[in-house]
Amino acid sequence: MSDTATPADTTLRTGPGRLLVAVYSVFTLAATARGSYQLATRFDEAPLAYGLSVAAGLIYLVAAVCLARAGRTSRTVALVSCGVELVGVLTVGALSVFVPGLLPDDTVWSRFGSGYGFVPLVLPVLGLWWILRVHRADHR
Amino acid sequence: MVDWLTMTIQMASLAMAGWCLVSTFRDRPMTVPHLVGMGVLWLLVIGQAVVSAVAMIGGDRPAETVMFVSYLATVVLLPPACAVWGFMERSKWGPAVIAFACLVLPVLLVRLEQLWNPVV
Repeated sequence: MSDTATPADTTLRTGPGRLLVAVYSVFTLAATARGSYQLATRFDEAPLAYGLSVAAGLIYLVAAVCLARAGRTSRTVALVSCGVELVGVLTVGALSVFVPGLLPDDTVWSRFGSGYGFVPLVLPVLGLWWILRVHRADHR
Repeated sequence: MVDWLTMTIQMASLAMAGWCLVSTFRDRPMTVPHLVGMGVLWLLVIGQAVVSAVAMIGGDRPAETVMFVSYLATVVLLPPACAVWGFMERSKWGPAVIAFACLVLPVLLVRLEQLWNPVV
């Protein structure tokens, strides 16, 4: 690799990390705002679906904050939250496709995030890739 | 919401996104002209927000007012927040942040128009 940057220069919040933090922040807002609005106005219709959206939003928030803080502990937490996110979007996505009756209303992760241009599916993969890349550069 | 203003913002936003994507692929950081572009875009958005606020005070409110106002606040805050965040990055990823913001903005405006004028 032609990377000349020293390990100390490579932190989570610079380079591609800068874009990831921006995308995570926007999705934090989108998911929590959507979920809490639905919980507040139509709790009876699909509490599980709306709760899932809020949960997704909180995980996005953790990822955004930890990527931006860029410390060692933050890196681990960000890694875990991206992992949870990936499992979440795959599980909820698959359930929404194969067991349509389970969640009466859509969540951020339904149909693998098709309502949001599939960004919820791509985002954790990019997040994991970036965190592991920084981690490896740090250990060289 | 003024229709032509929405259209103008969407076009300007997409143009801005295109410009920033070119900068990203040419490996250029964000420059002052990018920042000025974002400033112009922000002024257009503020204009739309003011017009909508005046209409709402005058009694012309969308059915889901709370939702509309929260979307409007997001639309107003998104350009400056991303401009600052992108300008702090002195690499090609700065314009990439702006490009992302400028691609999200037209979508948010579509949502705002739907809330303002629900087609049933």
